[in-house]
Amino acid sequence: MEGLFFNVNNGYIEGVVRGYRNSLLTGANYTNMTQCETIDDLKLQLGPSYGDFLGSLPPNPSTSSLAAKTTDKLVSEFRYVRANAVGALAKFMDYLTYGYMIDNVALLITGTLHERDTRELLDRCHPLGWFETMPVLCVATNIEELYNSVLIETPLAPYFKGSLSHQDLDELNIEIVRNTLYKNYLEDFYQFVNAHPEMTGTPTAEVMSEILEFEADRRAINITLNSFGTELSKADRKKLYPSFGMLYPEGTLMLSRADDFDGVRLAVEGVADYKTFFDAAGLGGGPGGPGNLAGGTGGAEGKSLEDMFYQKEMEISKNAFTRQFTFAIVYAWVKLREQEIRNITWIAECIAQNQKERISNYISVF
Amino acid sequence: MSGASDREAVFPTRQSLGLMKAKLKGAETGHSLLKRKSEALTKRFREITRRIDEAKRKMGRVMQIASLSLAEVTYAVGGNIGYQIQESAKAARFRVRTKQENVSGVLLPAFEAYQTEGNNDFAMTGLGKGGQQVQRCRETYARAVEALVELASLQTAFVILDEVIKVVNRRVNAIEHVIIPRTENTIKYINSELDELDREEFYRLKKVANKKLRDTAAADKEMKEKREARMAELAARGQENVEPEEYAEPRNILDAEVDEDVIF
Amino acid sequence: MTSQADYKDRQFLAVIGDEDSVTGLLLAGIGHVTAPPDSQKNFVVVDNKTDNATIEAAFDRFTTERKDIGIVLINQHVADKIRHRVDTYTAAFPAVLEIPSKDHPYDPDKDSVLRRVRRLFGE
Repeated sequence: MEGLFFNVNNGYIEGVVRGYRNSLLTGANYTNMTQCETIDDLKLQLGPSYGDFLGSLPPNPSTSSLAAKTTDKLVSEFRYVRANAVGALAKFMDYLTYGYMIDNVALLITGTLHERDTRELLDRCHPLGWFETMPVLCVATNIEELYNSVLIETPLAPYFKGSLSHQDLDELNIEIVRNTLYKNYLEDFYQFVNAHPEMTGTPTAEVMSEILEFEADRRAINITLNSFGTELSKADRKKLYPSFGMLYPEGTLMLSRADDFDGVRLAVEGVADYKTFFDAAGLGGGPGGPGNLAGGTGGAEGKSLEDMFYQKEMEISKNAFTRQFTFAIVYAWVKLREQEIRNITWIAECIAQNQKERISNYISVF
Repeated sequence: MSGASDREAVFPTRQSLGLMKAKLKGAETGHSLLKRKSEALTKRFREITRRIDEAKRKMGRVMQIASLSLAEVTYAVGGNIGYQIQESAKAARFRVRTKQENVSGVLLPAFEAYQTEGNNDFAMTGLGKGGQQVQRCRETYARAVEALVELASLQTAFVILDEVIKVVNRRVNAIEHVIIPRTENTIKYINSELDELDREEFYRLKKVANKKLRDTAAADKEMKEKREARMAELAARGQENVEPEEYAEPRNILDAEVDEDVIF
Repeated sequence: MTSQADYKDRQFLAVIGDEDSVTGLLLAGIGHVTAPPDSQKNFVVVDNKTDNATIEAAFDRFTTERKDIGIVLINQHVADKIRHRVDTYTAAFPAVLEIPSKDHPYDPDKDSVLRRVRRLFGE
């Protein structure tokens, strides 16, 4: 049923995005890239897909400029798609950018807190998270002003409302602010895809729910693991868990009580995928455990939990393309593309730092 | 003997000769001691330079590993955390302590890295994702910085030793090429002056002796003349008593008397 | 030649470098900001927009003005920009150490100390 009218508004976009998906680098491309001896070779290998964007780079560019240029391509494609999107899809894509906005806003808040000239920071903001009123954020010189007059005007205002006051911005660690915002954002996004009349009951809701649930679980697990040994109290930690996901509510409750790696493992045992991840990571000594000896030998321990999460995310994203008539492919495409940029950066980094033994730590799903 | 004029301004006396000899002995002892010190330092210095060379090369590698771990963070966090890190840095967790090491009397400072407990500015960094990589990166960088601190100690030791060795060598050379020759010159000078004095004294004594001799000779002659005069007087008084034939003169005198006889 | 007071207070490291090097070293925990009102950082980020005068000023501040810094780490490519200053710097405290950066591999031939080492060995 949902396919009946989908193409009226969104058929073009779906076609374009599927076209973009086909231009993603494949396993064979990556194999070729790992054989490169210099960044220039790598640039040559990337020629077919990134040629226009890499053309302006000087010979043997730095890895960061390479990453910047590849991101530019994603951004320009995203903007093109966004410009052509209408209705619910447009809104959906806006939601997609909120995640980046949170990072940008967190950056600007940090700058304001330290009384830096926030205008310099605009360059550092993620282009996907750019919103019209963002430069206005720089006008605020103290945090109260920022909160009362500026943040309220941003699309993120609902995420601040009710959970963060301007005193909180001042007192709480910026990471807590960021994660609170992100939690609110995920919950809102989840609600959006499931409640919006154009999406309820469509493959969009189905696929996006899976993706967002996974994202929520991943954040909950990461926050728990990373909070060990910090001043973040269990009660505060609990507030950062999104209130949905496969782990919710029992798993998250257990997570909130976990004291160590094993506690987290117990909490996630109910979900087969995560259990497998933890078992695999557990063999490697576990994150934060004694396994992290020399940084150079990290590759020998196999994949970290983070890597496996990325891998899983990519699998889900890849599978999203098997569905038709769904907005989720846009989300999936952006994620796949980001991973591709990370992969390229990683490979470039390994080549630049002459650490070939770890070059194959990239994640390729095609 | 170019250094004939290069000597210390002393009076050439036996006392200053003694002083100079003591000084020369002191300088020689000092020279050999300093020479040994310089050799010990140079040995140490060479060892340090070799280690610096090694460590600097190793550092390249260590920093590459560290950079890669930072790349890992960027990979995991999915963005650049640089700004946030810069802003959240407050109190140094990683500090250095300076201590001293004594090498042949030279105090070489050495840095020792230590980490203060409790303050962690970045504990929350990457809370949402990438936290594990951030922690790992911190460890990797902490190790890299330790290596850098070690290298810095070596380098400081290098700079100080370089300076000290230069000073010591300057002293050794000064003693060897200036003080010792000068003292030797002075001793030589004093000796020659003393010799000169000796010779003068000898000559004077000889002169005195000569004079004495001459005086004695003169005195002898006078005595002889006196005696002869007396003898002649005696002979004039009566030849009988005067027997010796060897007195030719008296004969003449007698002849003269014969002349007197004519008057007779 | 080095009095006790000259270095017993030197407990911090300072860094002048590109963003990645600074970030990494700060992660290691060397970052220190002195107490307000005149809060001074012990790190300086250099990018391609930073002019040499700023670098020089930072170098001077770390090497001569501040008495609590024991080691100054400086990226080699940054040191190259103010090479004359680095080469003429011979004091023992603080020690100036040239470190490689991510995008500029280490070149031992440029290092001022290594060059002195070479010269001493007559290479």
